[in-house]
Amino acid sequence: MKEGLRAKREALENLWRQGLSGHSLLEKHTRLLDDSLAHDFNGCPSADDMALVALGGYGRSELFPFSDIDLMLLHKNTDENQLNDVAEAVFYPLWDAGLEVGHGVRTPETCLSEAKKDFFLEVSLLDARLLAGSRILFDELSSKFRHTFIEGRRREFLDNMLTHRLQRHQRFGNHSYLLEPNIKESRGGFRDIQAMLWTAKVIFGLDGLASMEESGLLSNDERHKFEEAWNHLVKIRNRLHYISGRKNDQLHFEHQEEMAAAFGYKESQEALAVENFMRDVHSNLQTIAVRADLFFDHVEDALHPHQAKFADRVLEEGIEIRRGKIHCDLNLIPKRPQLLMRIFSRSAATGLSIHHRTRKLVQDNLHLVDERLRNSRRMSGAFLQTLQAPANPPAVLASLLETGMLAAYLPEFQHISSLAQHDIYHVYTVDRHLVQTVSEVHKLAEEKKSIFTKLTAKHLLYLAALLHDIGKGYSKNHSEHGAELASGIGERLGLTKTENDCLTFLVREHLFLPETAMRRDLEDENLIMRCAARIKNPEWLAMLYLLAIADARATGPTGWNDWKAALLKELFLKINNLLERPELIASDQYHDADRIREQVKSGLENTKFDLERLPNDYLLSFSPEEIISHILQRHELKKQQVLLAAENKDDHWSLLILSQDQPGLLTNIFGVLTLHHIQVLAARIFTWTDGTVVDVLDVAPALNREFGDQDWQTLNNDLKKAINFQLGLSHRLDKMLHPKGSPVLKTVPREAARVKIDTSASDKCTVIEVYARDRPGLLYNVTRTLADFGLSTYRARIGTEGDQVVDVFYVLDYQGQKIDDPEFQKEIHQSLLHAAS
Amino acid sequence: MKKIVAIIKPFKLDDVKEALNEIGITGMTISEVKGYGRQKGHKEIYRGAEYVVDFIPKIKIELIVKAEQVDKIIEKIREAALTDGGKIGDGKIFVTPIEQVIRVRTGETGKEAI
Repeated sequence: MKEGLRAKREALENLWRQGLSGHSLLEKHTRLLDDSLAHDFNGCPSADDMALVALGGYGRSELFPFSDIDLMLLHKNTDENQLNDVAEAVFYPLWDAGLEVGHGVRTPETCLSEAKKDFFLEVSLLDARLLAGSRILFDELSSKFRHTFIEGRRREFLDNMLTHRLQRHQRFGNHSYLLEPNIKESRGGFRDIQAMLWTAKVIFGLDGLASMEESGLLSNDERHKFEEAWNHLVKIRNRLHYISGRKNDQLHFEHQEEMAAAFGYKESQEALAVENFMRDVHSNLQTIAVRADLFFDHVEDALHPHQAKFADRVLEEGIEIRRGKIHCDLNLIPKRPQLLMRIFSRSAATGLSIHHRTRKLVQDNLHLVDERLRNSRRMSGAFLQTLQAPANPPAVLASLLETGMLAAYLPEFQHISSLAQHDIYHVYTVDRHLVQTVSEVHKLAEEKKSIFTKLTAKHLLYLAALLHDIGKGYSKNHSEHGAELASGIGERLGLTKTENDCLTFLVREHLFLPETAMRRDLEDENLIMRCAARIKNPEWLAMLYLLAIADARATGPTGWNDWKAALLKELFLKINNLLERPELIASDQYHDADRIREQVKSGLENTKFDLERLPNDYLLSFSPEEIISHILQRHELKKQQVLLAAENKDDHWSLLILSQDQPGLLTNIFGVLTLHHIQVLAARIFTWTDGTVVDVLDVAPALNREFGDQDWQTLNNDLKKAINFQLGLSHRLDKMLHPKGSPVLKTVPREAARVKIDTSASDKCTVIEVYARDRPGLLYNVTRTLADFGLSTYRARIGTEGDQVVDVFYVLDYQGQKIDDPEFQKEIHQSLLHAAS
Repeated sequence: MKKIVAIIKPFKLDDVKEALNEIGITGMTISEVKGYGRQKGHKEIYRGAEYVVDFIPKIKIELIVKAEQVDKIIEKIREAALTDGGKIGDGKIFVTPIEQVIRVRTGETGKEAI
C-alpha cells in the first residue's frame, strides 16, 4: 500500500507536468487521498464506532501538492489498543509515503474543549469532512460544534478572526506588495480567502462565493474577478510546491524567475519577464486583499449597528461621519468632484477610516478626475493635507493607493503601479514603497523632532517622499527622470517656483547622502565642502537627510540599521556644520577646486609648478588670475625670506605677503604693521602644502594719515628684521601703545571678548575663534599668545564688523595634533581672553 | 592556516575587495561593525545641541588563508585601506593561527577546505 500512495502521487505530478493544474489538480489530489484513506480505514476490523475526518484545507478538498494532511480520528471512549490499531493502519502509510500529517485522536468532547483553546483547530473544524466510518458520530460533532461555537457567538468569532488576521498580516508583512510574498499567509493570500469564507459561513450561513453573490454580498463582476485571482494563485502555489519539492509558500526570487518563464511571461521594454509576472501576482493578491477588507468592513457594520466612538455629524456638504466612518453623498460627486479628494483629507484629519461603500464610490467615479481637476488648487490643497495629516497615515495612504485615486490624480503613478523591483533590498513594489516612505516621514516627525520642527516647508518633504522613485521603470536614471516628472507634478499642484526647485532637488538628489555616506571618506574636509556646495541650503539638507532615512526604512528590513544610521548622521552633521558657517565655504563664489586647478594650469603655460601643493580651500578663495600671480611671485621668493606687495584699492590697500612657514610669522607681521600704524581690516591666510605662506591682508592707516604715501620699503625691511629675530617688537610696541608719562587710559568699558575653541568644526585642525573690540595691537597680542603655546596656524580668516573683530584660526599643536586635552584648551582660552581684552 | 581579521573604514571596502581579488582571494566574510580605538568617538554640534558619536562605524573583513599567503595579503589590505597620508582610524589587521578547517559538504579538511 505504501508504494501505492507514493506511486499515485508521482502519477499526479506527471499529470501536472502534462498540464493538469488549478483547482482540478487540488480535487484530483484530494480524491486520490480520500480513496486511499477510506480503503485503509475500512480495512480495519476494529474501526467500528469511529470516524475518520478530514480537516482544514484537506477538509475543503483543496489539497496542494505538499500541503499538510490534517486528519482526525473521532471515537467514543474506545479502548486504547483498538485505537492504536486503527491509527497505525491509517496514519502509517501516509508517513511512509513521506507526507506531512497533522493528526489527532479525539472524542467529540475532547475535540470541542481543545478547539476552545486553539483558534486554528476551531476554524479547521469549520471545514470538517467525513472520509469514512460512523456518520452518526460525525454528525454529533458537527451539531455540538455549531451549538458551542457558532450559535450566539458570532460576535466573538468575528473578533477572534479579525485579531488573528491582523496578527498574521503583521507577521508576514502587511502588504500584498512584498517582493517575496508568502502567498498563503501574507495579505491577499490564501488565508485571507479562507478567513473571508469562514466568516461568511459562520456569520451569515453562506457557503462559498456563489451563495455570497446570491445574497448580494458580491456583484457578479466582483465574484468573477475574485475567482480569477484565486485561480491564478492556485496555479502558482501548485507549481511552487512542485518546484520546491516541499511545502513552501514563499515566492522566493529564484522561483519567480522559473515561474515567469513557465507561465510564458516575456520581457518588455520597461520590465523583465519576472517583473511582469510579479506585477500580476501582486495585482491578484491585491484584488483579494481589497475584497477581504471590504467584506470585513461590511461584517462589522452588520454586527455593530450602533457602536461608534464618534458622534454622527456632517463635516462639510457631502461628507459626514456615520457610525465612526467617513461617508460621502453619491449625488454630489458629479457636481463637486473635488469631494473625491476631500474624503481622504477628512479621513486623514479625523483618523477615521472611509466606509467601504464610499471607497467603492471613489473607485467608480475615477473617470471624473480629469485634466482640469488635476490642476485645481482646491484639489491640491486637499491632497497636500492628506499627505501631511498626522492621524494614521498608513491607512489613509493605502486607501488612496488602493482605490486608484492616487494614480488617477497623479497619472505618473500608473507607470509604477505594482512595479516590482527584482533585487535583494526592496521588499515592496515601487508604489507601495513610496506610500510607505510617506508614513516613515510621519514617524520621523516625532523621532527627529529637533530637525523636523525647524523645517518651514514640510509639505515639500512629504511630497518628495511620495515622488522620489516616480521615475522608476523607464530604463533611464530614475533620479534624473523622477526630478523631471516631479517638476511637472509640482506645477500642476500649484507650487511656487522656489517650492518646485526644492521638490525637484530632493527627488534628484535623494540618493546623494546615503551613497556618499557609505562610499566616501567622511573625514575628507574637501568632500564635505563639495557636498555643502551641492546642497547649499541647511533646510534642503535637513529634508534630504530625513528623506534618506525614510526611504531606507521603507525599503525593507535590510535597508536600515544602526550602522548605516551612524554613517548618515555623521555626514549630515558635518555638512550642516559647514552650511551654518558660511565663512568656511564662501559658497557664493564656490567653484570646483579641480576646475580652478585646470584654469590655473593653462594660465601658467610653461611655468612648471605642482598644483597639488595648493589646498582646495585656498584655490576656492581666490580667482585663477590671483592664484597665478601668487605662484609667479612665489618663484621670486626663493631669493629672499619674505616678499611684500601692496596694491592701492582706493579706500584701502591690499597687501600680499609671501613667506615660508615659521613659528611666530603671523605675530611678526601683525606687530610690524601695528608699529607702522597700519590697521588690519580683513585677512585671509593660507599655507600651501610645501610650507609657502600666502597672506592677503586688507589694511588701512590707523591714524588719519594721507592715504597713498605709505613707506612700504621700510615696512618690508622691518618685517625682514623681525623674521630674523633682529627687531625688538614687543618693547617698541609697548612704548608706542603706552607712551611713558601718559596716564594709563581708563578705557571705555568694552564688551568682554569671547573665545571659542572647537575641535569638531574641522577634521584636520582645531578651530579657535576670537571675538573682540578692535584696538591697535590686538592681532599682535592674539597671535603672539598662539605662538607662545607653540601652536601653528594653517589657515586664518580675519574680518571686522563695525569695531568688532572676528578672528578664526585653524591651528595644530607643536606635534601637529589637534588640541583635545580640556586642560590645555582651558589654558589657551584664558590666555586668549586676556590678550584680547 | 591563518585567520586574518581586518577592521577598515567603510568606504575602503571596495578598494580592499578589489586588491584581494587581484591576488586571487575571492572568498571573505564581511560584517558591519561599530567600535572605537584611538580614533575615539567625537562630538558633532547641531543647532547648539551636541551629538556624541561614541561608536564609529567600521567594516570587518575576515578570511582564512594558507600561512604562506599571509604577508602578501596583509600588504594588499594595508595598501588599499590606507587613506591619504594615513590617519588615525584607518584600521587594524589581526592575524591568528587556525587549527582546523572542515568543508561541511565534502568533509575535506585543512588547506583543501579553504
